[in-house]
Amino acid sequence: MKINRRRLLQALGMSPALLAGTNVAARENAANKASSGAEQKLVGLNPKGMPPATTLLPMAPRRPRFSSLEGKTIYMVDIGFNNGDVFLHEMQRWFKQHMPSVTTIYRRKAGDYPQDDPKLWAEIKAANAAVIMGVGH
Amino acid sequence: MKIPTCPIVTVAFEHECKLNAAKRGMPTLRLVFTPHPVWGKSPEQLWAYVNGPDPATKKPLMQEVIGALTNPLTAADKKTGTITPSVGPEKFDADTPKNLQEFYRNNGYTDYLPIIIPTEEAVDEMLKGTSHHPDEVVGKLAAAGGTNALEAWKFTVRHVAINAVMAGARPEYMPVLLAIASSGYISLISSTNDLAYGALINGPIRQKLNMNSGIGALGPFAQANAAIGRAWTLISKNLGNAGIPGETYMGDMGNTLNYINLILVENEEASPWEPFHVQHGFKKEENVVSMFGGLGISAGQVGKGSGVGGTPHFDKQYVDLFYTFTGFFGALLLCEPICAQSLKEQGYDTKEKLIDYFYKNTTQTAKEYRDRNWSYLFEYGQALKGVEPFATWYKLPDDTVIPKFPHPDRISIVVIGGSTDPVSQVANFSHGKSVSIDKWM
Repeated sequence: MKINRRRLLQALGMSPALLAGTNVAARENAANKASSGAEQKLVGLNPKGMPPATTLLPMAPRRPRFSSLEGKTIYMVDIGFNNGDVFLHEMQRWFKQHMPSVTTIYRRKAGDYPQDDPKLWAEIKAANAAVIMGVGH
Repeated sequence: MKIPTCPIVTVAFEHECKLNAAKRGMPTLRLVFTPHPVWGKSPEQLWAYVNGPDPATKKPLMQEVIGALTNPLTAADKKTGTITPSVGPEKFDADTPKNLQEFYRNNGYTDYLPIIIPTEEAVDEMLKGTSHHPDEVVGKLAAAGGTNALEAWKFTVRHVAINAVMAGARPEYMPVLLAIASSGYISLISSTNDLAYGALINGPIRQKLNMNSGIGALGPFAQANAAIGRAWTLISKNLGNAGIPGETYMGDMGNTLNYINLILVENEEASPWEPFHVQHGFKKEENVVSMFGGLGISAGQVGKGSGVGGTPHFDKQYVDLFYTFTGFFGALLLCEPICAQSLKEQGYDTKEKLIDYFYKNTTQTAKEYRDRNWSYLFEYGQALKGVEPFATWYKLPDDTVIPKFPHPDRISIVVIGGSTDPVSQVANFSHGKSVSIDKWM
């Protein structure tokens, strides 16, 4: 049976390198000296990928243009985070107390929180309304 | 939309939101912030939020809301143009290895452990592991994954090689790393939920790379398992701009799996069933990586199946362990080979039969389902769109018993381990996609 000396030494808790003789130790010392040479310098490459360019999106002229909210309709759009509905209901309560001419409509957006809901946006646009959207977390 | 809109976010996300708005070309987006958190607060507490200040500006919150909807557009709001971001030079200034270690670490390029400095020579050597051109674009990665909530970065074969060198990979690992990177799966997702990701390797490449699927398969006992996992984290950080706390990473306490991720190598030789990649349409001799994601791995070493004496019932044990899982992320059973053999002898001669058992026997009431935060956040919105089974589940009486997992395909089984003890492990993970490794040879 062939004995694997390295494995045998490891099984005994000994480093094969230490017991392999002075030649190995000398080689390791030489390598350590070389790698710790004071003037050794390396050029490293940049590991970052390529970010996309940003195209500035001018805010579109609003239709309708709201100079005030008096008499207007606001959709309170809940994106689905826990308790967001309660927060938006409290905001509806604020409008009722402080700006009673404002009509507020609570709606839960369809789809996951990052998903678009074009049907709802079309409905809001047709109603000439504004949007308050929230709220996480 | 051209609709006057006021987005409201809790102040914990102020920096992330402002940065993301700017990257999306809307640096003057009229964001309003509430105190954090909204979750768990009573109506009275939230009434106080509404009547209090915006914590970012210190001005009354409702004044900020009204201003966001009514203030006329400014010159800055109307600005157009293109901003080209820079990530710095392709090569950094020559320096000592010690200084470069600090430089890479201080610039956020590492996982805070020492790296191999990616010199041109080392990267050229790494590139020998694939026949693909160094400048070939491999794909895109985004810190928010497929949600489109954060911008996607492009990267080349060379970029992957640089990160592979840093992680201590060998050239022959390159096809696996390119396959993982090309999948679009980022391992450091921006979510607040401390998510983790996994990659399962199937096919003959397991032996070629000396990957460990046996004793200690999930531990630090093989260079390929360790370096491939670590490289995926560095790829996620550097090629997808992920893992910047407060900016592109919001995981509350993080996840220890994020260091080297859950690298799985199926023990095909010890399995009584078809390998995972064959289940998903690949040939046995093909090399494939399958991507997983979810909440994490939990101890599976307890339960009915491991009881003293009698016939083991691992099937029942695993159903027990799935109880706390969210159906949204599904279940991944890392089935130990002795357990797999026992299950086969019990009559489960395919993985599909066992999956069917799990699907039918892991149940909850409709109320339990609807009370879960994950259901409300991700599946109630689907129900509103009429997507099944969620649309039906949201209409059922409270005490109706329904499956925990919305579909059997949310449940996966992989045989792994060294047959030293019949103890499997389970993860609240689901399978996303499987991609070819051979394509990147």
